[in-house]
Amino acid sequence: MSVLQSKKRRTFIGNLIRGIILWILSLAMILPLLWMITAALKSNSSIMSIPPEWIPKEFHWENFPEGLAAVSFWPRFVNTVFISAMCVIGQVLSCSVVGYGLARIRFAGRKFWFYLFVGSMMLPSMVGLIPVYRLWTALNALNTYWPLILPAFLGSPFYTFLIRQFLMGVPRSFDEAAKIDGAGHVRILFQIIMPIIKPAIITIVIMQFQASWNEYLSPLIYLIDGEKWTLSLAVASYSTLYAVEWNKFMATDLVYMLPTLILFFVAQKYFMQGLGSLTTAGLK
Amino acid sequence: MNNSKAEIPRKRRFWQRDGFIGYMFILPSLIGFAAFVAYPLIVAIFYSFTEWDGLSPARFIGFENYTYMFTTDPSFPKAIKATFLYVLMTVPLTLVFGLLLAVMLNKNMFSVKVLRTLFYLPVVLPSVAALVLWKFVYDPDYGLINQLLAIFGIKGPKWLQSEDTALVSMAIVSIWGVGSMMIIFLSGLQSISAELYEAADVDGANGLQKFFKITIPMMSPVLFLQLITGLITAFQAFNPPQLLTNYGGVGGGPNYSTYLLAYSIYDKAFNGFKYGYAMAQVMVLFIIIMIFTAIVFRFSNAYVYYENND
Repeated sequence: MSVLQSKKRRTFIGNLIRGIILWILSLAMILPLLWMITAALKSNSSIMSIPPEWIPKEFHWENFPEGLAAVSFWPRFVNTVFISAMCVIGQVLSCSVVGYGLARIRFAGRKFWFYLFVGSMMLPSMVGLIPVYRLWTALNALNTYWPLILPAFLGSPFYTFLIRQFLMGVPRSFDEAAKIDGAGHVRILFQIIMPIIKPAIITIVIMQFQASWNEYLSPLIYLIDGEKWTLSLAVASYSTLYAVEWNKFMATDLVYMLPTLILFFVAQKYFMQGLGSLTTAGLK
Repeated sequence: MNNSKAEIPRKRRFWQRDGFIGYMFILPSLIGFAAFVAYPLIVAIFYSFTEWDGLSPARFIGFENYTYMFTTDPSFPKAIKATFLYVLMTVPLTLVFGLLLAVMLNKNMFSVKVLRTLFYLPVVLPSVAALVLWKFVYDPDYGLINQLLAIFGIKGPKWLQSEDTALVSMAIVSIWGVGSMMIIFLSGLQSISAELYEAADVDGANGLQKFFKITIPMMSPVLFLQLITGLITAFQAFNPPQLLTNYGGVGGGPNYSTYLLAYSIYDKAFNGFKYGYAMAQVMVLFIIIMIFTAIVFRFSNAYVYYENND
């Protein structure tokens, strides 16, 4: 047997072993999810049966409507969609504008502000929790959506950084041509730059939607009335009850996860390549 | 401002100049910085020296909050202990597992894309949804783990409901989210030039040598950044103690076993209305994070390799 052949055989066996290990690990990782799906379809008595029924004998689809009703799912779904949409719009607008300003407009101190904004990402978010809460209290904005939405219009440092870095790689010749035609910065940004930075914007849309959909601590401290609650609050408060009907609760939890799962499978390309490379982009 | 009118005839007013427009463009972030960074930092420092219930005016009490924290408050040492243990259990393990997974999945082999997706899937789930799922997984009677153990005739522990196992159980959930590290390491690995490995092959290096002499040094900037962000995130973990070990609305676990500092801060402020004391704890958390970040930065000079130092 030649050296090359034996090497090929070694790689094949290596790959096989690696594949088996990885498949076992990954199945162990998603086991809780699979089990959740079966639990969501079980009756309350078969959830408690020992030995467990791995695949339910009969499917209890009524767990879904009953579970959803128990947490007033749909009104809270509307609230969550509204907040998430507003935050996405806010971040895309404000971060594009700020990112453009930092990358393309020459003004005194732009380097300073850029580094200050980037540096502010290092500040632990817990530091702001109580002072900002007191600020909104003073502004009489408790139990409104302002504390959840308005900050999104003030440009997250991380997304701004993404857009600025992306723009640094876009040749200036694009905007220079428009400038000669007499276009101002606002027109250059919205007509020329925004289409070019679309990949960065899509990434921000995905990340911010996920973040708003998942956000728990802010709604927890700012939203008091049940009818203003988000889904994260509704699901969380259900789970803190002593006696939880797990089958209905898992059905509800599954529906709550669904939008983020759908988004993940639709925009997988952006998750698996985009987000990772963008996060490390600053290092290169 | 120098008088430029004499040199170039300009029609532009000051608000049409870049020097002004630039500030208009970054205005959102300037306001955001003032409202969410500068102002809270100053306020938090000030109020950490006060006694304040949020209703009556704050009363300046000097270092009393801090002395109470370190000498009297029985929950604080437990919070510190739980926080450090949690960070020590989660950060190194997610870094190491994340890197190993990334290396194993950075090969062209059958089903590698599906595997990457499966490992990343837990990260996509909303934190609240994933945590309440795990609360069910850990349920002593009907949970997945104890039902699996029951098959082998083992009576599983009470996991989140027992003082001995609650924190470890919580850390396992955090490690379940290793996919977020993996995905970042994968994109880092893909940017390492294949020539380096080819050259090593020519020199007859084995897999381990390649891993330690090429992969680790080339990945060190990414590892370094992930270590810092991982530390900052883990030190501030709030959702796990609030949701996993919450029974009847009270989090923090049996006998404060999962009473992480971030949860303690929330608990003192929003359940106990001791805003001044909570802010003193915020300051302690802040200083701990700063010290750890500084240590990591200090060591990074020796261990982190940057390809081009410009």
